[in-house]
Amino acid sequence: MSGVRAVRISIESACEKQVHEVGLDGTETYLPPLSMSQNLARLAQRIDFSQGSGSEEEEAAGTEGDAQDWPGAGSSADQDDEEGVVKFQPSLWPWDSVRNNLRSALTEMCVLYDVLSIVRDKKFMTLDPVSQDALPPKQNPQTLQLISKKKSLAGAAQILLKGAERLTKSVTENQENKLQRDFNSELLRLRQHWKLRKVGDKILGDLSYRSAGSLFPHHGTFEVIKNTDLDLDKKIPEDYCPLDVQIPSDLEGSAYIKVSIQKQAPDIGDLGTVNLFKRPLPKSKPGSPHWQTKLEAAQNVLLCKEIFAQLSREAVQIKSQIPHIVVKNQIISQPFPNLQLSISLCHSSNDKKSQKSTTEKQCPEDHLYVLEHNLHLLIREFHKQTLSSIMMPHPASAPFGHKRMRLSGPQAFDKNEINSLQSSEGLLEKIIKQAKHIFLRSRAAATIDSLASRIEDPQIQAHWSNINDVYESSVKVLITSQGYEQICKSIQLQLNIGVEQIRVVHRDGRVITLSYQEQELQDFLLSQFVMDLKVAARLWFSFLVTNVKTFQKVMFYKITNGVIFVDHSKKFSGIKWKVETLFIKWSCLCLHLALVYYDFFQMFPKEVSRNFDLKCLQINYKYKEEITSKGVLFLKTIIRKCLFSTLKLFTL
Amino acid sequence: MEAPPVTMMPVTGGTINMMEYLLQGSVLDHSLESLIHRLRGLCDNMEPETFLDHEMVFLLKGQQASPFVLRARRSMDRAGAPWHLRYLGQPEMGDKNRHALVRNCVDIATSENLTDFLMEMGFRMDHEFVAKGHLFRKGIMKIMVYKVFRILVPGNTDSTEALSLSYLVELSVVAPAGQDVVSDDMKNFAEQLKPLVHLEKIDPKRLM
Repeated sequence: MSGVRAVRISIESACEKQVHEVGLDGTETYLPPLSMSQNLARLAQRIDFSQGSGSEEEEAAGTEGDAQDWPGAGSSADQDDEEGVVKFQPSLWPWDSVRNNLRSALTEMCVLYDVLSIVRDKKFMTLDPVSQDALPPKQNPQTLQLISKKKSLAGAAQILLKGAERLTKSVTENQENKLQRDFNSELLRLRQHWKLRKVGDKILGDLSYRSAGSLFPHHGTFEVIKNTDLDLDKKIPEDYCPLDVQIPSDLEGSAYIKVSIQKQAPDIGDLGTVNLFKRPLPKSKPGSPHWQTKLEAAQNVLLCKEIFAQLSREAVQIKSQIPHIVVKNQIISQPFPNLQLSISLCHSSNDKKSQKSTTEKQCPEDHLYVLEHNLHLLIREFHKQTLSSIMMPHPASAPFGHKRMRLSGPQAFDKNEINSLQSSEGLLEKIIKQAKHIFLRSRAAATIDSLASRIEDPQIQAHWSNINDVYESSVKVLITSQGYEQICKSIQLQLNIGVEQIRVVHRDGRVITLSYQEQELQDFLLSQFVMDLKVAARLWFSFLVTNVKTFQKVMFYKITNGVIFVDHSKKFSGIKWKVETLFIKWSCLCLHLALVYYDFFQMFPKEVSRNFDLKCLQINYKYKEEITSKGVLFLKTIIRKCLFSTLKLFTL
Repeated sequence: MEAPPVTMMPVTGGTINMMEYLLQGSVLDHSLESLIHRLRGLCDNMEPETFLDHEMVFLLKGQQASPFVLRARRSMDRAGAPWHLRYLGQPEMGDKNRHALVRNCVDIATSENLTDFLMEMGFRMDHEFVAKGHLFRKGIMKIMVYKVFRILVPGNTDSTEALSLSYLVELSVVAPAGQDVVSDDMKNFAEQLKPLVHLEKIDPKRLM
């Protein structure tokens, strides 16, 4: 910097004053420069108060023009509009615009403040948001959630559907292929019907009646085995069952107890060979598996064995007048003379050999099903008695036994009392009594039926009662004449058929006991027939004969109730009709009586003599086989006798 | 030779010599219901039977060391039932294969003046207790499930307290002598009660 002369630089502000006017002589009149306050005013005027609100007023005021220019500019724009209103006023206060702007701002602010204070109260004005549409950027997260939920639900539904499908498939498989049941489910079914227990690795069951009160010493155990002889290659047979039962060998096949009543076999050496007929197996229920039928049949065999064992034990032990015979599988006893009751145990095994050999000689009608059924019932009664609570000991340490038997010691019962306690009748005695009753009843019915079919007049009616006892039945017998039913009500008999005798109760109170003989009942009923005739005959007394017409050989008598037509008959050709001479009524009556008697007694050619107690008509007659002239004599005697007795009755 | 002491002779109650076969076990109170259920299923089909008995044990002290024991039992809930007098002999020491305890047994039904009679004969009451429980049967087997109550005031059967929180289970059969198959049946039956109660042969001498 040495060597170089400092140059003096003078700086002058170009504050050239504005020329106000140039005089004529060239002198310039300058405007005085703006003072500080004037400058400030000029700057203040340049503030554009409306710029903040985004108005597009140009910064026209940014010119360095005078403060006067502004209002002047503003007013010059409106000059055309407002003529003479606004004058150019250069002497306006330069802060006027600022003041006006500020004042308008203040006004605005005040208004805003007022509004806000009113809104704040919420009494007269409230602010509500304007509902706006969901903005597109905000929608995106919600749909995303929805879609994701749908997908996950679809996945879960898929899993559930798969599982359900599997289940339905297995169910349909089960229903279709029943043959492919497995061992365990079949064992469960077996267990629902039978008592099973597991001993070691074997499964045993109990088919005896021991838990139901039986004291038969048979063990009655069967074994359950798995059926493994199944060839998977071949087709499974229809009745395949994975379970099989093995029953004890002596219970195989089927059995029943045959009770029959026969005329006594003349040859007793034929015993022991019971004619079996293979009774068809009782039909098992259609849905029951084969082991059920097998086990039920074995149980039935066991029960039949028990019944037969009990019967044979009693047959040997109990003393009776005619001893019972026990041979092999048959018990024979005699309920009535000439009658034989045989009870046999028919046990047929399932072998094919025996099926061929059974020839069906014996007719099945001989077998009394009722008695077989009753035997089953009786043995079950016996079972139930052992289980009844009277057998339980009190105090608990005492042995089992009937309650009253235990009292026999302390109360010093004698033999009679002890015997009365024990059921005196065993199974055999009960069955024999029932058989006797059945036989007696059937025979009484047969007698009545035969009489009814043979005798046409009078008629016999029998009304059997439906409800009977095992040991007693009753039948009501009515003997009437046709046409006189209402009047001949007096012959009504009540027959009570018991075990060994028949008791007859007459309507008038008489009680007659008949024994089991068939003839006694027949005779008695015949006597009742005659009684009926007597009653009918007595009625003749009240009938008036209106007229009698006599033709050559035919006569008939007309009475009030009808006509009795007496046919021409050779038998009566010898009798002289002394109708006119005798009292007409009596002879008609007698004749009728005679005719009826004649017809009646004609049925019994073999009767030799009869004595009937008829109270008013005593007839002793002898009826012989030759019925020629002797028959006439007979009739004569009858008529004579009738005449006398009816005379007696008439006067009485 | 002097008469052998009373207790050593087998006591016969008549014509047949009866033996009692016995198996015993016990269950706690809370298992009683399940045991009763199982017994109802296994035993004969009857209405369940309960009992309430009062038992008195009488002793006759002779010259020998071991006294003669008789048990008198009466039923408290069944009026009219006779009293029951029982003699139980020594358990037979047979082979170990026999599964049940076997001892000679004589049962007699008596009238109500039994205690007076025994007192007159010289017996003295040793102890008494009340037994309350259930009774089942299966064929000839008798199963008793009962609780033993101690009598607090002698002679008064109302004031009792339970001896333990368990029930005693006894399986017994009274059968003629010589039938050992009975004990096999008892063992088979006891097997079926296995997880609930263990019935076994308990020698009373070992408990003394």
